[in-house]
Amino acid sequence: MISTKSITKAYGSRRALDDVSIFVPEGSVYGLVGPNGAGKTTLLGILAGLRHPDSGAVDIGAPRSRIAVLPDTPQFEPWLTAREVVDLARNLAAPDVPVDRVGEVLVEAGLEDSIDVRVGGFSRGMLQRLGLAATVIGEPQVLLLDEPSAALDPGGRREVLDLVTRLRGRSTVMFSSHILGDVQEVCDTVGILREGRLLFQGSLDELLVGRVGAVYRIRLRGTDEAVVQSLRDSPWVQLVEQVAASDLRVTADGREGAERNLVKVLADNDAAVISISPEGANLEDVFLELTS
Amino acid sequence: MSLWRLEWLRMMRTKRWVAIFGVFTFFGIIGPLSARYIGEIVERFGGGVQVTFPEPTPADGIMQYSANVQQLGLLVLVMIAAGALTIESRYEMAVFLRTRVMSTTRLLIPRYVVVAATGILAYVAGSLLAWYETAVLIGTPGTGAMAAGMLYGSVYLLFAVSVVAFFGSTLKNVLPTVILSLVVLVILPIVGLIPSLTDWLPSHLTGALDGLVGGAAIGDFLKAMFVTLAGTFALLYGTIGVLARREL
Repeated sequence: MISTKSITKAYGSRRALDDVSIFVPEGSVYGLVGPNGAGKTTLLGILAGLRHPDSGAVDIGAPRSRIAVLPDTPQFEPWLTAREVVDLARNLAAPDVPVDRVGEVLVEAGLEDSIDVRVGGFSRGMLQRLGLAATVIGEPQVLLLDEPSAALDPGGRREVLDLVTRLRGRSTVMFSSHILGDVQEVCDTVGILREGRLLFQGSLDELLVGRVGAVYRIRLRGTDEAVVQSLRDSPWVQLVEQVAASDLRVTADGREGAERNLVKVLADNDAAVISISPEGANLEDVFLELTS
Repeated sequence: MSLWRLEWLRMMRTKRWVAIFGVFTFFGIIGPLSARYIGEIVERFGGGVQVTFPEPTPADGIMQYSANVQQLGLLVLVMIAAGALTIESRYEMAVFLRTRVMSTTRLLIPRYVVVAATGILAYVAGSLLAWYETAVLIGTPGTGAMAAGMLYGSVYLLFAVSVVAFFGSTLKNVLPTVILSLVVLVILPIVGLIPSLTDWLPSHLTGALDGLVGGAAIGDFLKAMFVTLAGTFALLYGTIGVLARREL
């Protein structure tokens, strides 16, 4: 469990965090999103114990030795091998973990071909994988990840997301990301920061519900002008857009009217319907709306 | 892999030990040689000028070595120490260590000890070479004087590395750490020109090796040694305090 109460942090006259209170349930995955300079790294630094808040309280339900942090561009001594880096992390964070686990973790991180190679020649993506391996070897109770997939190719990104998913329930994970799709995919809870203030905190459902308009996408087999006209004539329809020849986007004035009448209009026109689906709001839309 | 092995590998794999041992042993060889043959060297390169030098003494051989290592040897040691002791010069590496090592003492001590020990070993190796060569070419310096001189010189190196550690923790950057450390180590002998302070300052120990071989008493350097040890502990204590309070 992680919680902060009204924490504030200023660098000179600029407030990096302003009255931020977060709550991360134990074993959950918390996504921290916000534009550059929003205060994400400062918040993660405070949670890691690397920075001190000017005011407010931080409560992390784990000893400091069980908190692991992965910066966005991990770096290691270039003259160490990958195995030595992870073994150092093991020795410092969890000396009880058997040495054999070092190799296993490196294989899991996709570095099986570079285990005994010095890290000076590693690409940024390889360093990120190595950073993850060095982080999970300690079996942390709390894992703080700063942009963990930013430098990775799609395969590496997938592995990171899978790793975070696997950690759910075992570790409390907080990660910041600019890739909102990643946050939407793996996080139970989302916090949106802007200019040091927490604009929203809650589950994705809470964030997205209420922002979903009564908008429906309809795919027909072939073009059917009669259907389009009937929809436009319906009193509960606000707008009908023909996105493509056989692809309609219907905006209703409310869900109830659409749910009661949409299918009926299509049936009355004997339309060949391939699919009907409500158009959902996504995190990116909401993020832009909140932070703009 | 422990923090001690990490520092050992830093010294070995980056070949820093070669630089430290190289400079100290080089002057261990060259110092007595130049003291012995200074007349011949000046005659050969002086364009026919005849200069008569007094017969060199064992103290001259050791002094040639000592003067050089207290300048160039110290410069190399300070630069190498700064590379290891500016623990937070790279944020990402500092995050790796600071989030896994809760005690700043545990973080600092291996770095300090490995660098200081390498410097002292190199200094002793250079001193032994200078001793041997002086004995062969000029005359045998006293064993007790050499042993005590090396001890005093080693204490001074402990102090010099602790100066670097302190500025490394305060400034977080290698180059300013090197510059400020050298400024302090250069200013101390200048302050030592004040007669009432001479015997008390750490810089007094830099002249212990050749001074003792030249006939000074071992007790002449005791005051400076105690002040130097106290200064070393104070600087290390301060370094640990600065690191513990500092935010990344």
